[in-house]
Amino acid sequence: MKKTLSVIMASTVAISLLLAGCGNKDSDNGAKPSDGKEKVKISLWHNYTGDDQRAQTMRSIIDQFQKDHTNIELDIQAIPPDGYRTRLKTVAAANEMPDLFVMWPGIMTKEFQAGGLIQPINELLDKQTDWKNGFLPGSFDGFTIDSNIYSAPIALSPTSILYYNKSILDANGLQVPTTWDDLMKSVEVLKGKKITPIALGNKASWLAQSSILSSLADRVTGTEWFLKASAQDGAKFTDPEFVQALQHLQDLGNAGAFQEGFNAIDNTQMEQMFAQGKAAFMIDGGWALTNFAANATAEAMEQMGATVLPSIPGGKGDPNTLSGVVGTGLGLGKDATGAKKEAAFELMLAMAGPDAQKRVLESNQLVSYKVDLDKSKVTPIFSKVYELLNTVKMTPVYDGIMTSAGAEAVNNGLQELLMGGKAADIAKKIQEAQAKSLRR
Amino acid sequence: MTSTSRMKSFIVLGLLPALLLFVIFVMIPIIWSAYYGLFDWKGIGSAKFIGLGNYLEAIQDPIFWLSFKNNMLVVVASVFGQVPIALILALLLLKNHWFHSFIRSSVFMPMVLSSVVVGIIWGYIYHPEIGILNFLLDSLGLGSWKKLWLADPGISMYSLMVPIIWNYIGPYLIIFIAALQNIPGEIDDAAKIDGVQGSRKLFSITLPMIWDTIKVVIVLCISGSLKAFDLIYIMTGGGPAHSTEVLASYMYNNTFSIYRFGYGSAVSTTIIILSLILIAGSQYLMKKDYR
Repeated sequence: MKKTLSVIMASTVAISLLLAGCGNKDSDNGAKPSDGKEKVKISLWHNYTGDDQRAQTMRSIIDQFQKDHTNIELDIQAIPPDGYRTRLKTVAAANEMPDLFVMWPGIMTKEFQAGGLIQPINELLDKQTDWKNGFLPGSFDGFTIDSNIYSAPIALSPTSILYYNKSILDANGLQVPTTWDDLMKSVEVLKGKKITPIALGNKASWLAQSSILSSLADRVTGTEWFLKASAQDGAKFTDPEFVQALQHLQDLGNAGAFQEGFNAIDNTQMEQMFAQGKAAFMIDGGWALTNFAANATAEAMEQMGATVLPSIPGGKGDPNTLSGVVGTGLGLGKDATGAKKEAAFELMLAMAGPDAQKRVLESNQLVSYKVDLDKSKVTPIFSKVYELLNTVKMTPVYDGIMTSAGAEAVNNGLQELLMGGKAADIAKKIQEAQAKSLRR
Repeated sequence: MTSTSRMKSFIVLGLLPALLLFVIFVMIPIIWSAYYGLFDWKGIGSAKFIGLGNYLEAIQDPIFWLSFKNNMLVVVASVFGQVPIALILALLLLKNHWFHSFIRSSVFMPMVLSSVVVGIIWGYIYHPEIGILNFLLDSLGLGSWKKLWLADPGISMYSLMVPIIWNYIGPYLIIFIAALQNIPGEIDDAAKIDGVQGSRKLFSITLPMIWDTIKVVIVLCISGSLKAFDLIYIMTGGGPAHSTEVLASYMYNNTFSIYRFGYGSAVSTTIIILSLILIAGSQYLMKKDYR
């Protein structure tokens, strides 16, 4: 009997020890500051942790907001970009959404909406009509579900810009390529002179998909085919046009366009290679611009130019396009109600409102908002890309439209393709993954 | 009440807090994870019960078995790399000379470094453009041996073994040194009187005396290698094109890149079952007593 008693006592002690750790929480809720206003606490999750100019600008906007609003207490979680999506999805799975957080348009918004984890911000947009009308056409498309708008973008991300180094091209008597044959010829010439034609860093495996294939395949198949194939409605990834697009990419790889070991270096290292003049071209997104501004020398940036991927003979797509997406905005978590919601709206306006959009643009980050660019405030390559974007149309990015499993199959498939895999087999794997994940 | 039963109740009392924590934070999550494995669940929204569907899918997926094969390579390399090297070093470094303790600390050092740091260091050693290894081969006139260490799927798995072995020798070395120091001095003296020396002493006295420790180390080594994830995740992320995928990275990529939480849970439960089978198997093989 004594034994049972001691066991019970021991468990009681152990449990009370465990519980003690969870005790004093939230004791400061409802405290009133001196100005008489109720103090509100809201949580903010963002991924502006880097050293690039955009991240610095966003952080300073948040700091300023905190100084100006003493009645709003921010509980900030700054998570490095690589781990951000994972962390966010994990709290979403545990049903513990932050009040305000950086959110992607498209599939992420759709999933959160379907899970009932976010609230629409129409209320705020209808109050601030000037702000709402300032956005470029289509800005809200990725954030809209059944006429409810869930966020306002703070960025625009073209994903497939062909950057070139003018001095390398001039020194080798080359022109900026406008057709596929031009590009293949430039590769041959540069290869002969032992210069890396195109810098590529595909370790994280999304780059070849997002930056190269999204535009290249669009040139061959046209946008309509891709949207149909993604929905598995009247087109399949095993169709000959897609296999042909894969074949073009493989040809480029086989011609030696990319430096050796491209599957072992990452996006940042590839941007460094290009900025240091170690490669004539680079196919990368608009995110490179803010990195250049923070890390590349002024002379290096003088030499850079930007254009769209070359046209492909017989392709069905419009060659004067590049793939891109409206960037992230701030999502409003479902738990932000009452005073919390008001505070969250205020912060959202501070971070995505007209002033913020202007400051973001001036930190060399493209935005989906009408702002006149003051060229003296940005780098030369940034204003070139800004001008380029005013003359071309945008087409969808593969991983913005396909399911996560389908996009992952494309990512891995392209690595395999560039290591010598057969285009038709890879197309089949992509088709299977996309079809299977849609059926579920 | 006799003193032995009193002793027993004291032992129960002493073990209880640890046991309770273990049950709450290890056993219950394992059971939960096995249960989640029965659902088709994206992590958000409602989960659909699909019975053993996820488990069947896992064992039919060729990439799962590729990961398993790669993982077995890690296990073999660790058991036949880490354990013998640690044992030999322990025998050599047993003495407490300052030089020996210096070597001992340097072998132990990678253990103190975070595996992310180790991964990044080795990533740079193998780097295709600025890697020290290729540079060294070049300057030694062995340019033809230069390889794309991490990007070539034919060799990338073997390139990963080197840092994995290097990183984890330390703790086993310390365990072996402790075991060797625990061999009573009288046995040494008796051996001296009987004139036993060198390899005879090693195989007839030293190894049998620490055989139990060797068994423990092998079990630790197998379970550690089955969990291999961090270095591989940092250095290759399982790529290129799944060529260095191991079970844990396969599980991670399915759960957190494709967001199939249910499938990921099923895979992790399968990993636990495979680990238990392997450890039981190794225990059975080592059952025959050395003594």
